[in-house]
Amino acid sequence: MIRLESVSKSFGKHGEIRAVRDVSFTAPDGQITGLLGPNGAGKTTLLRMLGTLIVPDRGVASIGGLDVVRDLFAVREHIGVLSDARGLYPRLTTRENIRYYGTLHGLPDALLDARIETLIHTLGLDALADRRTQGFSQGEKMKVAIARALVHDPATILLDEPTNGLDIMSVRALRDQLRQLRGAGKCLLFSSHVMQEVAALCDRIVIVGAGHVVAQGTAAELIAQAGATTLEDAFVSLLGTGEGLAA
Amino acid sequence: MPGQSVASPQERVLAVARKELLDTLRDRRTLLVTLLPALIAGPLVLLLMFSVIASQLDKVRELKLPTIGKERAPALVAFLERQQVTLTIAPSDFETKIRAGEMDVVLVIEEKFEADVAEGRAGTVQLIYDRSRDRAQSAIRETEALLRAYNRQWGSQRLLLRGMAPTVGNPLNVESIDLATPQQSGAFLLFFLAYYGLFAAVMGGMAIALDVTAGERERQSLEPLLMTPARPLELVTGKWMAVAAFNAVVVIITLTGYYLTLRFAPLPAVGVPFLFSARELAWFLVVLVPLIALLPAVMLFMGTRSRTFKEAQASVSLVIFAVSIIPVVQLVQQKKDPDWIAWIPVSGQFSLLGQVLRGEGIPLAHLAASFAVPLALTVGVLLLVTRMLSRESILAGK
Repeated sequence: MIRLESVSKSFGKHGEIRAVRDVSFTAPDGQITGLLGPNGAGKTTLLRMLGTLIVPDRGVASIGGLDVVRDLFAVREHIGVLSDARGLYPRLTTRENIRYYGTLHGLPDALLDARIETLIHTLGLDALADRRTQGFSQGEKMKVAIARALVHDPATILLDEPTNGLDIMSVRALRDQLRQLRGAGKCLLFSSHVMQEVAALCDRIVIVGAGHVVAQGTAAELIAQAGATTLEDAFVSLLGTGEGLAA
Repeated sequence: MPGQSVASPQERVLAVARKELLDTLRDRRTLLVTLLPALIAGPLVLLLMFSVIASQLDKVRELKLPTIGKERAPALVAFLERQQVTLTIAPSDFETKIRAGEMDVVLVIEEKFEADVAEGRAGTVQLIYDRSRDRAQSAIRETEALLRAYNRQWGSQRLLLRGMAPTVGNPLNVESIDLATPQQSGAFLLFFLAYYGLFAAVMGGMAIALDVTAGERERQSLEPLLMTPARPLELVTGKWMAVAAFNAVVVIITLTGYYLTLRFAPLPAVGVPFLFSARELAWFLVVLVPLIALLPAVMLFMGTRSRTFKEAQASVSLVIFAVSIIPVVQLVQQKKDPDWIAWIPVSGQFSLLGQVLRGEGIPLAHLAASFAVPLALTVGVLLLVTRMLSRESILAGK
């Protein structure tokens, strides 16, 4: 369970860039929550705060009951993050890339071996397992990065635009993967600027624009709230009014 | 599973160090560029310097003196020949040959030499040479010295014939006493040994230090790494361990290269009992330990500070320039280093390396002093890097 209460974050010398303003929402376990918003809406900043890399100026954020500021390292053990930056080590093989993170998470060898095998298999990386990641395609790199983020079987999974640069086959494979994780009771938070992505996968949607939450709920609730007929119309009308897309 | 299995800090530090070493060993181009000079450059420079010195020594040992007018001064010729000088007949175009560097010095005994001497005037001999040629210096010096010696001997004999003590004509007696031990004579050559050893400690860790910091950032793998349970201090310690270990290997390879070259290569005998035995090798390593630790830390700092690999390389080359110029300044000064120099990083190490090479013992206090500052700095710089990695701004500008 992810919970944010009135979280704000500004950047710049005098805090003049207000990236996130008074954001509150929850993402329950066993569901995929979509964080939907245009570029620059504050999605990556929100995920970095949840990933404990930056500290909120105001408000409280917690994951699985652990405060992201106070219980920093406990949170890091608890989450798996596919961040905006997802570089691999090109001179290490797929297996070695995943293993490095598993070791840092303290998995005992036997368990780690088993986890790596499972991940390599479910993500379809078998043929690439012992190849260096140098020269992998976007999709292949993404799969390795996902495997790396999931190696310690985290209860909460944060994904920042995971479908960026993926072909349709990889996107579908990724969706299946995420649904399986949801079935296993994980809490998933998925950010995207692509409405169709979110609509196809998410149980709940949080629409953010210009740093604050514009609307949240299930797809049906959002459509009703906007008085629209499709989610796309709802998205545009919810964002377009006020400061949404223009920001 | 979360919470069930947590690695200890030591395990995480080792995991980081292991990964960075593996990553570096896979980077063949960097390995080649770092290790090849270490293996080859040193021995090559040594061979070169040895043959230059040897050829100069040969010249001194068997001085050949092309002469014009040998028959005009039989006593002088006899004196020179007693001093192991080989007198030959100089060709008529000797001036051209001297300018071309084919001859070092030519002795010309003037035609009226005998007549002058017979009439009690000073006989004149000419030495013809080109002072600007370094290689000729020792031959020139040697010939001048021999002629002065002959002059003195001849003068003394004349004074004796006139019933006067030779000291009347030579009231000042100059004795040169060379205090250089045999090992000190080779000091200049050995400067290069010390310099290269120092340089290996400076350069050895550079590529890897930048790769694990600026490279990590440029590859976009830093952000996910910072979200693992590994503390920034553990990441920094692990990375430093990998870089320092690699640096140590480069230094060991460089020095071993010297050791093997000096011991087994068919070097020309230069008459200097040159000591770079296993003992000196071990002392070199001990003396260089503080730099093997400090420079990787400084380079990690530079790499972390920089946004890109290129920027990092630029700032690191400044460090390298500063470090490599210090020994040269010390050498040019040609003063005996004061005792407090041991406290100063780089200068202290260079001074101690010189002491090792001159066969002097190193006082334990000096060695301790030379460790203190660099090791304290290493800890300080690593803590600084840790603080940088803990800041939000580390993510900016990617």
